[in-house]
Amino acid sequence: MNIRSYVVIRLKELEWSTLIFVLLLSASGLLAIYSIEAQHVSGSDYFFRQSIWTVVGIGLFLTAYFIPRKIIHNLTYPAYGIGIVLLIIPILMKSSGAVSRWIMIGSIGIQPSEFMKIFLLLALAKYFADHKRKLSNIKELMTPVAMALGPTILVLAQPDLGTALVYFGILIVIIFWAGIRPLHFFLLLAPIISMLAAFQTLSFFIWMGLIIVILYFNHLPFWTKILNFFINVGLGGITNLLWALLKPYQQQRILSMIDSDSDPLGAGYQVSQSLTAFGSGGPFGKGLGEGTQTHLKFLPEQHTDFIMTVIGEEFGFVGVMVVITLFYLLIARLITQAYNSKFRFDSVILIGIASIYIFHVFVNLGMIVGIMPVTGIPLPFISYGGSFMVTSMVLAGLSANMSSVRRAVG
Amino acid sequence: MLQGRNIVEGWRSLLVHGLLALLFLILIGRYYYLMIVFHEKYAEKATANHIRAVPVLASRGVIYDRAGNLIVDNAPSYTISVIPIEVKDKPESLERLSSVMEISVEEINRRIVKNRRGSFAPAKVFSRVPFEKISHLQEHRLELIGVTYSIEPIRNYVSDLDLSHALGYTREINRDDLNRFKKDSDYQPGDQVGWKGLEKYYESELHGQRGFRYVEVNALGQEIGEVQDRAPINPIPGHDLNLSIDSYIQYAVETALADSSGSVVILNHKTGEILAYASRPGYDLEMLSGRISSKDWNALMQDPRKPLYDRGIQGLYPAGSTLKPIAALYSLENHSNAKERTYICRGSYRLGNRSFGCWKKVGHGKMNLHDAVQQSCNVYFYNLIQDIGLEDWALIAREFGFGERANIDIPGENKGLVPDTKYMNRKYGQNKWTKGNLLNIVVGQGDVLVTPLQLAQFAGMLAQRGTQFEPHFVNRVVSKNGDVIEENISQSRDRVTASKDSWDFVHQAMWDVVNGKKGTARAARQKDWEIYGKTGTAQNPHGEDHAWFIGFSLDERYPYSWAVLLENGGGGGGIAAPLIGKILRNIAKRPS
Repeated sequence: MNIRSYVVIRLKELEWSTLIFVLLLSASGLLAIYSIEAQHVSGSDYFFRQSIWTVVGIGLFLTAYFIPRKIIHNLTYPAYGIGIVLLIIPILMKSSGAVSRWIMIGSIGIQPSEFMKIFLLLALAKYFADHKRKLSNIKELMTPVAMALGPTILVLAQPDLGTALVYFGILIVIIFWAGIRPLHFFLLLAPIISMLAAFQTLSFFIWMGLIIVILYFNHLPFWTKILNFFINVGLGGITNLLWALLKPYQQQRILSMIDSDSDPLGAGYQVSQSLTAFGSGGPFGKGLGEGTQTHLKFLPEQHTDFIMTVIGEEFGFVGVMVVITLFYLLIARLITQAYNSKFRFDSVILIGIASIYIFHVFVNLGMIVGIMPVTGIPLPFISYGGSFMVTSMVLAGLSANMSSVRRAVG
Repeated sequence: MLQGRNIVEGWRSLLVHGLLALLFLILIGRYYYLMIVFHEKYAEKATANHIRAVPVLASRGVIYDRAGNLIVDNAPSYTISVIPIEVKDKPESLERLSSVMEISVEEINRRIVKNRRGSFAPAKVFSRVPFEKISHLQEHRLELIGVTYSIEPIRNYVSDLDLSHALGYTREINRDDLNRFKKDSDYQPGDQVGWKGLEKYYESELHGQRGFRYVEVNALGQEIGEVQDRAPINPIPGHDLNLSIDSYIQYAVETALADSSGSVVILNHKTGEILAYASRPGYDLEMLSGRISSKDWNALMQDPRKPLYDRGIQGLYPAGSTLKPIAALYSLENHSNAKERTYICRGSYRLGNRSFGCWKKVGHGKMNLHDAVQQSCNVYFYNLIQDIGLEDWALIAREFGFGERANIDIPGENKGLVPDTKYMNRKYGQNKWTKGNLLNIVVGQGDVLVTPLQLAQFAGMLAQRGTQFEPHFVNRVVSKNGDVIEENISQSRDRVTASKDSWDFVHQAMWDVVNGKKGTARAARQKDWEIYGKTGTAQNPHGEDHAWFIGFSLDERYPYSWAVLLENGGGGGGIAAPLIGKILRNIAKRPS
């Protein structure tokens, strides 16, 4: 089969709905950036740059779609290795105290941690596909956990808590999807919940009670039960110690979610202004270019993480619902396709992509309305930023690749 | 193993679908709550966030003379302010400003601290900046980040007349007044408020009401532009004042007074209108309005000639012989032989072992009441007061308005002093004061203290045969569209009653003071109208005597009464009478 007939067949196989959702979401992002910029003569060129990135992204979407699965499968581990190296570079280049998320290539800064999301996802998919693991034994989790832990530690060193949580989220969803036993899943997640519960005495004791009950009614070696229990108690106990190890701005971000008024000019200020933007937008919004919160610069960095405030303020609840619906349709489709797909490799990739989208959409849309901490998680396709736009597009292209009914060889 | 089969269980897929739905429902719920349920609360918050009401100053009412000639209006003045937050990291801005304004950076910083009203609000550093400096700043505005200028209306003194004490001036409102006016929320820090004179008395009429325009501001509080859908509230300009001051007469008074220290008050005794009012030395209103340097202020305060002191209503002087008509009138009303009774003046009067002199050392010889008034013989009145008594004299003096405020429409009036038995007992002790004190009082020395305004009013009451009109400066308060808001028509009060015969006698004697061969004020005489008057010499323990001349005209064309005081002027006849003579001649020459 020559390349030309391959392309023709693949084009016929392409499910256009994914591409259409992606284009609609990118368009709303461009509209919001246009609105921010149209009012200012200050000479920023976010709209222009984002347009370029969108076009580049569509090209990469198609590339990711057309690359034969076999090639992807073969390149997965080398790509993972390159990703790790790229994550190390900014740490080595780090000047004292500065946030080192970027590698500068000319005037363009790229964020390797964004691309790492793809590489990690593929690596995990390959691992589970290749080893036919049913995950009946908890020891089988060692390798995938280690795969995720490496990049997680590297981005935490940058420090980028948000991205670390994304990596972790990918791992959790994929091992669940790959067939981990519910009890193992529970025991895996329990330490995290223990740490969160430790912030409040009552919730900690209720949670410990629940752990005891679950351990009691399951068939596990006695010493495993005891070990698990004390691991949870111990982690809960050292949580306060770990909290002290967090950087003040990280603490502040978490705290400001709990009480957005505690820090009116920091993260809480942003959230408070963001709430005002959404609330004042009302059912139908103030109209394009009419958002006072937007145009009077009440929201710093509005074109990136807080981009939805523009849509909320200017297009109202209706505008927000359109975007949320598009995301829901996109992600729900991915889950269904992951369930229906013939091959495990495809299925894990699809659910991994879904997990990345879910994490980004929920955390981003949650933090700007004060129900999640401000963690610097951008909104796929909509937030300004080249690296993440490229990542989101590649993921969408991959998902189209994995989900299409496949007649062509590859 | 690319072809490895997918073995995921259905329940896992359902659970992930369920999780997705749950998370999205949480989001939708939260957005619904924010954007629909609490929309109005946040809409208000957004509005408050970005709309600021910027006050627009109301233009202060202007002041006209009685003929409608402008005396005071408003002119734009440039004020330079500094926005503290913007110059914080820009010392070069202040250095530039310092070199343009030729004032040290330290001084500018001191003013910023003094007038600071927050980091974003402009703090005034210069007012009344000449236009050339402003255009200079304009050229260099790129090097003057954080330096702004604004135009503020300030008082502009159109007329050359020196009505300083009557007009008064405006100054920036101080904290006390700001608190005092709190219920009238219209005042804000930095506002000009009437501080003295008419500006103060008519503050609420002149002030007007500030307006507001609504501007959009950004997160830094910087102005972005006018809000389109919110109409500005236009300021309501202050009302204008139409004074009773006659610029022509005022000018005549000022020319005649020249550099003398003293006061001239001329009023219309039929209406109470003040036609001319001078207190000398005056001061420069331009200098005092708005901001005055402490150096200039101290110079004014320490000037030995006391320019800030309004002699017309605050200056307390012995009245001298100008009060003699009081005793004369009492005698005419109460002594059946008043006109005939005579005393011999030998230049002094002995009381016990003390001697009380007459101004004429050689004595006036045999004096009757008419001649004693005309020639101002003290000895005659020393004798006469023995038959009157302090209480009776004080009673009439009070009815003539002495010892009480005339309720003129500028603040700061002094009451003066009319001593009665109670007062004398309090001051000197029960029965410790003697007839000697009484002798001093009848000739306007000693404990009696009057203001020039009171004496002018006294002259007016003599002219009007006991009828008093409250003197006033403002005839009408008129709104900008011409409506008369307030009209000052003095109510007449018949306060001193005496027979026509008695009044005729007093008038005749006062006519003779000016026109009689032996009158003390012949220099005040006019060619074609009749002038009545009385001279006075107030002994001044600190130096040369003060000269008084009070008088009136009964001419229908000139229903004027006046009081002239020349500090350290010597005898009233010698200097005060010629002065009014000159003024009156000028009045008669007024081109029609």
